[in-house]
Amino acid sequence: MREAGRALRVVRASAANAMADLRVVYTPVTWTFGWLGRIVMQVVFFALIGVLLDSPERLRFLFVGNAVMVTALEVMMCVASSSWERKAGTLPLLVAAPTRLLPVFVGRSVQWLPSGVATASVALFAVGPAFGVTWTPWRAVAAVGCLVVVAVSTYGFGLAVGAAVLGLPSLRNVSSNVANTVMMLICGVMVPVSFWPGWVGATARALPLTHGVAAVRGLAGDAAPGEVLRDCGLALGVGAAWFLVAGLLFERFAAAGRRTGSIDFAD
Amino acid sequence: MSALAGFRFQLRELPHRPDHLLALVTAPLMTLVFLAITRHAGRADLAGHAVLAPALIALWQMALLVAGELVAAERENGSLEALVATPSSFAAVIIGRVAAVTLVSLLGFVEAWLAAWAVFGVVVTVAHPVVFAATVLVSALAMAGTAGLMSAVFVLTRSARTFQNSLSYPFYVLGGVIVPVSLLPDWLAAPSRAVFLSWSSDLLRDAVDASTVEGVLPRLGAIAGLGFLGLCAGLLALRRAVDRLRRTGTLGHA
Repeated sequence: MREAGRALRVVRASAANAMADLRVVYTPVTWTFGWLGRIVMQVVFFALIGVLLDSPERLRFLFVGNAVMVTALEVMMCVASSSWERKAGTLPLLVAAPTRLLPVFVGRSVQWLPSGVATASVALFAVGPAFGVTWTPWRAVAAVGCLVVVAVSTYGFGLAVGAAVLGLPSLRNVSSNVANTVMMLICGVMVPVSFWPGWVGATARALPLTHGVAAVRGLAGDAAPGEVLRDCGLALGVGAAWFLVAGLLFERFAAAGRRTGSIDFAD
Repeated sequence: MSALAGFRFQLRELPHRPDHLLALVTAPLMTLVFLAITRHAGRADLAGHAVLAPALIALWQMALLVAGELVAAERENGSLEALVATPSSFAAVIIGRVAAVTLVSLLGFVEAWLAAWAVFGVVVTVAHPVVFAATVLVSALAMAGTAGLMSAVFVLTRSARTFQNSLSYPFYVLGGVIVPVSLLPDWLAAPSRAVFLSWSSDLLRDAVDASTVEGVLPRLGAIAGLGFLGLCAGLLALRRAVDRLRRTGTLGHA
């Protein structure tokens, strides 16, 4: 119980650091016209392939999938922001501190979650109607809830990737971009998961985004609440497993670093 | 000679910077993304679109993220003063380096073709190889010119770097990298035609297609012209940027 309270305090302090980082990275103007504009254009770019295919149905499919994808995309920036601690020279101090690394890193990149939910919400609800994606009020509210589930569950996966490459900071952008493109490819963002061979489908189901995309698609269509809740539950369950993997990888990194003295003070 | 030295230096540096090769790492995966979409829709006829798009994206992305960063990176590294102080032409060194980045980014074409063949067994044949090769060459030159402009602008206006990452997808749409400009709303036609990529993507798709390619020379001229405009504006902006940094004494201030 005491351990849990301490972990929560660490998460809170680290999250304050994360939000301060967000205010440095973006002003309201650069977030709106720089980041949001770029993200919306990404969704539009992929959705327009539906025009090329001459299929309004596929246009809507691509639009919804890519709008949800941007939440994951933004959350995956935790891979880069986790490695900032190494660059800042604070990682050895974190390893030496009397707490586990996972709570520190859970708080450290939390800034991307609200940003990711906000950008996807703008895409889905402000731009969506222009692409034939419309919402009833309650389905829109539920869709925001699903985006929160996507953000939280994908965060677990992102932290696991971040922990895996913490020792190789030069690969942080490459690894997150590869992970993003693979998710885009197999998680039902661009084509249904059933398009792929069975083993690819099984891999996709081990990624939270697959279930999150299915939940939002259900809401954009006429799925029953039970189906949407089931998909959200699966996303959260898979996400929780990835948090566990992330925790193990962070501990392994710290133990190996202590043993070999390889935790650098800076790049 | 200065340009050649810059070219060689950049070629040597690129393999040591995994981030700089990001566009080439994701190009095969993006090929699979586009091919999956077109094949799922039963549109095997769009394989050319699906294979060309990631190659064009790699071309633009590397220019934007690597070549566009060159001057700013030298400045942050504290080596800009030394570079400007040498008797060699600073602009020539930068142009040489930009050319190297652009040349390497053309590997995206090879990767896209190989990924399509290896995963989906799709072999996209080029019906008009001469037109295709000429378009790739002229597009690469235009990209180098445009990247030089980006490099100067990112130094001249620091705020522009904030929006650097935002210059990708809007230009993929305007450049018609997968959806031809003719399918976009009419009001986008004029701005699209001011982006050399829109001419390149149309001509490359036509070169892949078996039908006769019309107006090759004027279209190549449009790509070259827009690239030349970018190069001139880039050289001018580079000179202004370095002059201003010298005058204000902020050359090495990151």
